[in-house]
Amino acid sequence: MVSAILEGLARVLGLIASGDRTLVEITLRSLAVSGLATILASCWSIPLGVAIGLGRFRGRSLLKGVFNVLLGVPTVTLGLVLYLAFSRSGPLGSFQLLYTPTAIIIGQSILITPIIVSFVTNSLEAVDPEIRSLALTLGASETRANLTVLGESLSGVFLAVTASFNRAIAELGVAMMLGGNIRGVTRVLTTTIALETNRGELALGVALTVVLMAIVGAVNILVGVAQRRL
Amino acid sequence: MIELTGVSKLYGDVTALRDISLKVERGEILTVLGPNGSGKTTLLKILGGLERPSSGEVLFDGVRIGGDNAEEMRKRATLVFQRTVLLRGTVRNNVAYGLQLRDIPDEDIERRAREAIELVGLEVLADRQAKDLSGGEQQRLSLARALVLGCELLLLDEPTANLDPESLAIVKEVIRKLNKGGTTVVLATHNIEQARELSERLLLLERGEIVEAGRPQDLFLDQSYEMARFARSENVFTGESRMVNGVAHVDIGGGVEVRGAFSRGGSVTIHVRPEDVIVSQELVKSSARNNLHGTIVRIEDRDSIIRMRVDVGKVFTVQITRRSLVEMGLNVGQEVYITFKASSLQLL
Amino acid sequence: MVDILPINNTIKITLVIVAIATAGGYYIIRSQKLPGVRSLVVSTTTSLYDTGVLDQIEDAFEAENPIDLYFISVGTGLAISHAKRGDADMILVHAPSREIAFMEEGYGVNRKIIAYNYFSIVGPVDDPAGIGDKTPTEALELLVEKGRAGEIIWVSRGDDSGTHTKERGLWSQVGFDTSALREEDWYREAGAGMGKTLQITEEYEAYTLTDMGTFLKYSKDGLVTLEILIGAGEELINIYSAIAVNPYSNPDANFEDAVTFTEYLASGEGQAIFENYGVDIYGSNLFNPAVELLLTGSDPTTATWIEATGFFEGSECPLEYRWGETKLYDR
Repeated sequence: MVSAILEGLARVLGLIASGDRTLVEITLRSLAVSGLATILASCWSIPLGVAIGLGRFRGRSLLKGVFNVLLGVPTVTLGLVLYLAFSRSGPLGSFQLLYTPTAIIIGQSILITPIIVSFVTNSLEAVDPEIRSLALTLGASETRANLTVLGESLSGVFLAVTASFNRAIAELGVAMMLGGNIRGVTRVLTTTIALETNRGELALGVALTVVLMAIVGAVNILVGVAQRRL
Repeated sequence: MIELTGVSKLYGDVTALRDISLKVERGEILTVLGPNGSGKTTLLKILGGLERPSSGEVLFDGVRIGGDNAEEMRKRATLVFQRTVLLRGTVRNNVAYGLQLRDIPDEDIERRAREAIELVGLEVLADRQAKDLSGGEQQRLSLARALVLGCELLLLDEPTANLDPESLAIVKEVIRKLNKGGTTVVLATHNIEQARELSERLLLLERGEIVEAGRPQDLFLDQSYEMARFARSENVFTGESRMVNGVAHVDIGGGVEVRGAFSRGGSVTIHVRPEDVIVSQELVKSSARNNLHGTIVRIEDRDSIIRMRVDVGKVFTVQITRRSLVEMGLNVGQEVYITFKASSLQLL
Repeated sequence: MVDILPINNTIKITLVIVAIATAGGYYIIRSQKLPGVRSLVVSTTTSLYDTGVLDQIEDAFEAENPIDLYFISVGTGLAISHAKRGDADMILVHAPSREIAFMEEGYGVNRKIIAYNYFSIVGPVDDPAGIGDKTPTEALELLVEKGRAGEIIWVSRGDDSGTHTKERGLWSQVGFDTSALREEDWYREAGAGMGKTLQITEEYEAYTLTDMGTFLKYSKDGLVTLEILIGAGEELINIYSAIAVNPYSNPDANFEDAVTFTEYLASGEGQAIFENYGVDIYGSNLFNPAVELLLTGSDPTTATWIEATGFFEGSECPLEYRWGETKLYDR
């Protein structure tokens, strides 16, 4: 096992040093697809999480429970369901989304929505309830007071976004089923790892895994730095 | 300035305030005195526009306050909470927050924040993270955060509780300064000594109702039934004092003599805070000058704290934690010793 | 501002995000279809795709044609399912019985046999069952006997793939029903791809049926020490065919390009790629071109074998399943 890993590490360095075009392409695509999916999902998930976190309405607990359950949806399940939807013979077939990076973006953004919503909701609830009163007594309007509460939970929001990005870039089921792992079009890091591993190219598989983890690590560090600046 | 008429506040089926009618005059320092749970906080919240009364009327300068103009009222009055609530960021961030809500130019915000921070003596810590401050420093921060707004009305909930001596001195000084500058102050406390020291007018609140109102001196002098009852629960005694070697020996009756670290002879009214009295099952040899032996006559459970009445000839109220009660296995009828320092004996 | 974000930083961060999004979006758009280029979705099996031959075919074909080839590599069953759902324009598989059903059900037309190789029965170097010199049929009978005696183990793909289909066919030829064999202790089902199945076989020091592409690769990389014990024979022949999706049942399918690509696979150039693939890496070719052989009858034995296994009603594609003008058939 150790030799396979060492071989893989050597392979990575070789690939990076030579600036292997395919590796660069696949890596950039993974980043682009999962990055866009994260941004997209954040657009609707953060407001939704805030609404649930701060809101007081009937069925709130139920809604929270639903999202908590959706957190555990297997990627293959979601991939399969969406595949059936996007398939030519499916309800959304006429959009011809199957085997495009767009399909993966849509699929991944759906996948990570429960993550963002749950995290944001929970971090809002963890904020001291008196913060809102404090904001009000210092002269804030109701809306502004809500924003202040959101501001206090900002680290939770950041965590939500990074956790969901990590999930998106490291998932296989959705990318495989909706993208098809087509060379030059929808091949991303995870699908390549699966392909090469199946082919018996274990060292290459390990190498790509290292690249994937390095990316995830780098992004997380960058976000951490950005967060501290605020 | 503010007038409450027939105000009641219910939370579910719990009545926090019952038919309160009072007036707050512009420019005065009003103290609301009362034990924990008497409704002081709720009253302050209503005065600050943070809560709406369940029934009754609130008038601010003659204008009726309802749901839509509550925000305006909140901009003219500010409440400093009992438990410090911090916003993330530095001391400066916290102080500047309220100013940023109003249309004030940046340089003014900076200047005013600096002034407020200096007023409470936190200049050195101005750029520290607020959460890194000590308890007393955080209280001062809350005060600065409130006073920087220049509100007409300042509401303080237990501003002097658990403060270190330095912070305590600063807070009292700031309150006086603000009031001299024209700010109306309403403060809520259960500390009888602070009440007397700071305020011009006193309200006694018990179980949601105002049971007494007047000037502190008057109230303490001829104690009404309610005042007396409150006083008793705060160990207020009258007695004859004589100085012996620089220490005041006060005979409060019932065969009890207590020692105090003040120099006054003759008729005195003294008080020792229940929190400052130590209870033990055996005589403790310590530097404390007051050691009295007596019997537990009553135990009152107030959630996290326990109040006990110990009869040592006169009935003293002492406060201990529930844990101590359980660990020591104290019961009514038991004989105990109560101890407190001479410096804990306050002159009223 | 303590509540949300300091305004300056918010703007900066938003700009960064917008920049990333734009770059990402641009990159993705760029890798989408180019104008004037049509796409052809070819559903194929992992055992064919994983050898890498299709990448070479793709490069050569796309260099000469304004067609973007999309290869979807999955198990045979799923490949056919894709095509039935209209998500592929043609299939390139190696399961003749399923292919004819595909056409009979009306989903496919214009089948063309492209290449062939052999499945092999592989096993431990010392061949404890002693099948090395037997015919495929004899070998299987012997394996059942030895298996039931507890001397050897057989590992099956068990995943409904082309190889698994072939294996099932073989067993039934010898008179055994795999659904009954599965219950016996010596017959193990991997439920996995060929690579994993080989590794399991290696672990058990057992026997299994494998395709040449995967085996040669794993063998060369030292992942298995198994040996080819029976490497040829009529029963073991593995035939790769291309079938276009029926434009009548699926008007959205890119039929024209499917035919063009099939013609390419059958052309001299395409056939040469198949013939030469793997020689430099493994020392022997992984595939054998089938078109010339069937046309000229240059190797009668093999031709007979192919016809026996891969022909229906005497042809690789009966007349009723041919569609449109095509140069595919001269018979």
